[in-house]
Amino acid sequence: MTEPILRVNDLKVRFGTKRGVAHVINGISYELHPGETLAIVGESGSGKSVGVLALMGLLREPPATVEGSVLYRGQELIGLSSKEWRSIRGKGMAMIFQDPMTSLNPVRTVGYQLIEPMALHLGITGHEAREKAIELLDLVGIPSPEARIGDYPHQLSGGMRQRVMIAMGLACDPDILIADEATTALDVTIQAQITELVAELQERLGMAVIWITHDLGVVASIADRVHVMYGGLFMEKAAVDDLYETPRHPYTEGLLGSIPMPGSDRPEKLMTIPGLPPDPVFMPDGCPFSPRCPYSDGETCGKLVPEMRTMGDSHSAACHYPIKVTQ
Amino acid sequence: MSDSAATGKLAPKPESRAKETLKALFANRLAVAGLVVLVLLIFVGIFGKAIAPYGINEINIADRLKPPSAAHWFGTDDLGRDVLSRVVVAARVSLQVGFIAVGFSLVVGVPIGLVAGYFRKGIDSLLMRMMDILFSFPAILLAIAILAVLGPGLGNAMIAIGLVYTPIFARITRGSVLVVSEEVYIRAARSLGARDVRLIFRHILPNVLAPIIVQTTLSLAFAILSEAALSFLGLGVQPPNPAWGRMLSEGRNFFKQAPWMGIFPGVAILLTVMAFNFIGDGLRDALDPKQKSVIESRGRSA
Repeated sequence: MTEPILRVNDLKVRFGTKRGVAHVINGISYELHPGETLAIVGESGSGKSVGVLALMGLLREPPATVEGSVLYRGQELIGLSSKEWRSIRGKGMAMIFQDPMTSLNPVRTVGYQLIEPMALHLGITGHEAREKAIELLDLVGIPSPEARIGDYPHQLSGGMRQRVMIAMGLACDPDILIADEATTALDVTIQAQITELVAELQERLGMAVIWITHDLGVVASIADRVHVMYGGLFMEKAAVDDLYETPRHPYTEGLLGSIPMPGSDRPEKLMTIPGLPPDPVFMPDGCPFSPRCPYSDGETCGKLVPEMRTMGDSHSAACHYPIKVTQ
Repeated sequence: MSDSAATGKLAPKPESRAKETLKALFANRLAVAGLVVLVLLIFVGIFGKAIAPYGINEINIADRLKPPSAAHWFGTDDLGRDVLSRVVVAARVSLQVGFIAVGFSLVVGVPIGLVAGYFRKGIDSLLMRMMDILFSFPAILLAIAILAVLGPGLGNAMIAIGLVYTPIFARITRGSVLVVSEEVYIRAARSLGARDVRLIFRHILPNVLAPIIVQTTLSLAFAILSEAALSFLGLGVQPPNPAWGRMLSEGRNFFKQAPWMGIFPGVAILLTVMAFNFIGDGLRDALDPKQKSVIESRGRSA
């Protein structure tokens, strides 16, 4: 296997709040290889977004405290100076945000916002930058890019804006593109267009993608591997097909069970997971899912945080009582 | 929202924000009236000496305290000087004080607000408490105190007025920066490698300009009024040079015999201040993003 481009080891993020310390990320480890798509899925508040913001050094410290190690091409990112961070943001890693309505500066033209990262990282300005910006807009499927380059964000629709965001992310040819709920705010047809676009661009440009989402449907269509996140920890890591076919963690099973499947022979009522995700200020002892878990033994589960254990070929889960595979 | 671009059809090109704002401004009659007065004032300010029918210090004791007539439209003062000429020439002083003093407040106040609102924490507390101290004095009292230290005179009056209005700009800027710096697009720009200075001046500042522009026009009115008050008190423009406030103060002594000595400079102050206020109100209506979005969404749903 190739050398991973990104190696995250025991990443932890805490926030000092008025109510106490919020433990949002409690030690996650993963690797990302060049050209692959890793999906991180989880409910709202499971720490997905904070986890990737920490990767880019975009959390305000304080109130945040980031610990652990993030190796990008062998370079440790945690503890970098703001100048060193800037050289990585945009060029090494770029990010697309959830809501395209708010992630473009309303008083700057599309062209300005596309050219800015090029000017910052590649020193491309003037006519050359404009040409490249038009190329990028064309690449992300915006028709008549020459006309659109002078437009302001409010003149574009949501789907168009997200395309522009992607173009901005791609401006400096990053190794890693992080899509933080990039399709959540879009309607379903546009969602499909955007996921297809990213997949296509990934193939063409050979970058790695981290796709943060709570939508398992999106995951199935684009990801190579999936990490399931809950309470600031990974519950299960698997190749995408393995995860859908043989979930080993009760939480994954619950998530998959709560997706409506037309034409399936399931009972009509959708499954739900009782209870709420844990409050990061008052994290339960032991497995964070244990208070909601149907398989919890009420003993070990509530005391001991389960280790991530290998359950087969590149499949692992953090559970004391993983679900058995029924053949 | 339709994806018109995706289907290959180009939507008609909407107008730029500046154009839209100007259009809204020109639709406002009071603002247009204010603009007309302002343009006239600026014209008079520039060509005052050439327009004035008499010299500002042309003393003619024989013609003292004469009511308005064909020879002296605004009458003459206690030394027989032509009031019209003095009012016209004083326009330049008032505008100068207004623009320079408010320019000073802008140049000092806006960066303070930007830095305080963007970096927060200690620097925010320090800067804003300093502004609070300035703000806690009644404006004219503070200006008088500053002039007491610096000595009376036009230049010092400008500095004093500028200092007095600095905290307003710092506060308005900071308030808007606090909101804008939390916007996703600022985080997005940061995620692409932009540094603080670039974020502050290229991304945040253009987004907080609207309230600053409105405050500028309104402050111009206040600054001109303050200059008039300071000159009235003898702390601004020194005699024999004319200033509206000073003329008002001198006219007070002759109010019964020669009311025109005070009325005409008073009317000049009133017109100028109202012009700036109307422009300021018009700009606020034109730039207010909330009102704007209401109008826009109405237009869209229709």
